[in-house]
Amino acid sequence: MTAALLLVSACTPKSLGDWVNLLAVIRDFLSLSLFSLGGGNTLLSEYHHLSVDEYCWLTSNQFADLYALAEAAPGPSSMLVGLLGMGAAWQEGPAWALLSAVAAETAILLPSTLLMVIASLSWNRFRDSPWRIAFERGLGPITLGILFSVGLKILRTADHGFTAYLVSFVVCALMLRTRISPLWFMAIAGLLGGFGLIYR
Amino acid sequence: MIELPESPDDPDLSSQVDLAPAPSHRDLFFGMMQVALSAFGGGLSAWSQRIIVEQRRWMDNTSFLTGLTVARLFPGPNQINMAVYIGARFQGSTGALAALAGMLLVPFSLLMLVGMTYFTFRTLPLVDRLLAGVVAAAAGMALSMGFKILDQYLQDRVALMLALATFMAMSVFHIRLIPVVLVAGPLAMAWYWPRGSAGSGQ
Repeated sequence: MTAALLLVSACTPKSLGDWVNLLAVIRDFLSLSLFSLGGGNTLLSEYHHLSVDEYCWLTSNQFADLYALAEAAPGPSSMLVGLLGMGAAWQEGPAWALLSAVAAETAILLPSTLLMVIASLSWNRFRDSPWRIAFERGLGPITLGILFSVGLKILRTADHGFTAYLVSFVVCALMLRTRISPLWFMAIAGLLGGFGLIYR
Repeated sequence: MIELPESPDDPDLSSQVDLAPAPSHRDLFFGMMQVALSAFGGGLSAWSQRIIVEQRRWMDNTSFLTGLTVARLFPGPNQINMAVYIGARFQGSTGALAALAGMLLVPFSLLMLVGMTYFTFRTLPLVDRLLAGVVAAAAGMALSMGFKILDQYLQDRVALMLALATFMAMSVFHIRLIPVVLVAGPLAMAWYWPRGSAGSGQ
């Protein structure tokens, strides 16, 4: 508990009431948008860096909680950014929190959406372009490396004990070997946690 | 006497004939909302194919698969990109917006409720214990992402080296994602530039 308090006090949350901060946050999310390769999960480490280390809105544990909630909730898991935005402004009251959530989600989606509109309307023109081929082949292996790095980062953020790591590795193996819905894994692990078998 | 199935096994044969007229903004909004609602248990991609191609007949399977290719290639979440592709194809950028809004409205509102519940009750010991478990499972899911696409690169030594270098840069040397991609991206593109055409093939 004292360790947690020390961590919090070591890092002062940036208030979004300040225009300069707000613009900086929006700029950060806007610029990350076009780097969401391979479906958006490649950005998870950056989200952690921004919301835990740089802007100090959340503790590492809270970040892990929000990641898990976004994975468990229906819909695209990239809506995590909305939850991060909510966490950033939760101190200012629910109305601000909602506004901040919508702003964060809009900022992360806007650039990639604009590019996707252009891509959809002009796909035939660059389908056979060498740029397209090189981009697809070249960015694949980089995405692979990023995903491993992101997986490790989330693992270290989330797990703090032997049983937690054990659960993570078993879930990882089951994700690769079976077609069971991950909702089951989260439900069962949640029960194990509720009984106090997984601690942090 | 002869019973034809509602949706033939091979959509390519039938789809050219009986495509529905181009959906309006309103159709796009509610169509994508239907996709989002149907996929509440998961499998968004499969549901969107079933609803867009088979049920509503907005496009044939080939166009749909092209859309998936573009959605995966370009930055942004795949499902969201797919909604943008469908909307943009029929009604331009405002259509993309309508499709996007339809896809996100319900799940995002729900997630906001989840978030507010979380921030209100997260200090309760039971909630914290439950989440400690859920988080461990979610971490396992995150860990599996890399392994899921590893197979297709196992034969390509250069790809594995690139992946390893990217991993080391981020996890060992703690370099941020944007500089990593800006340096490694062009190098990888140069290496994989299609041979035979003009360019810096190696």
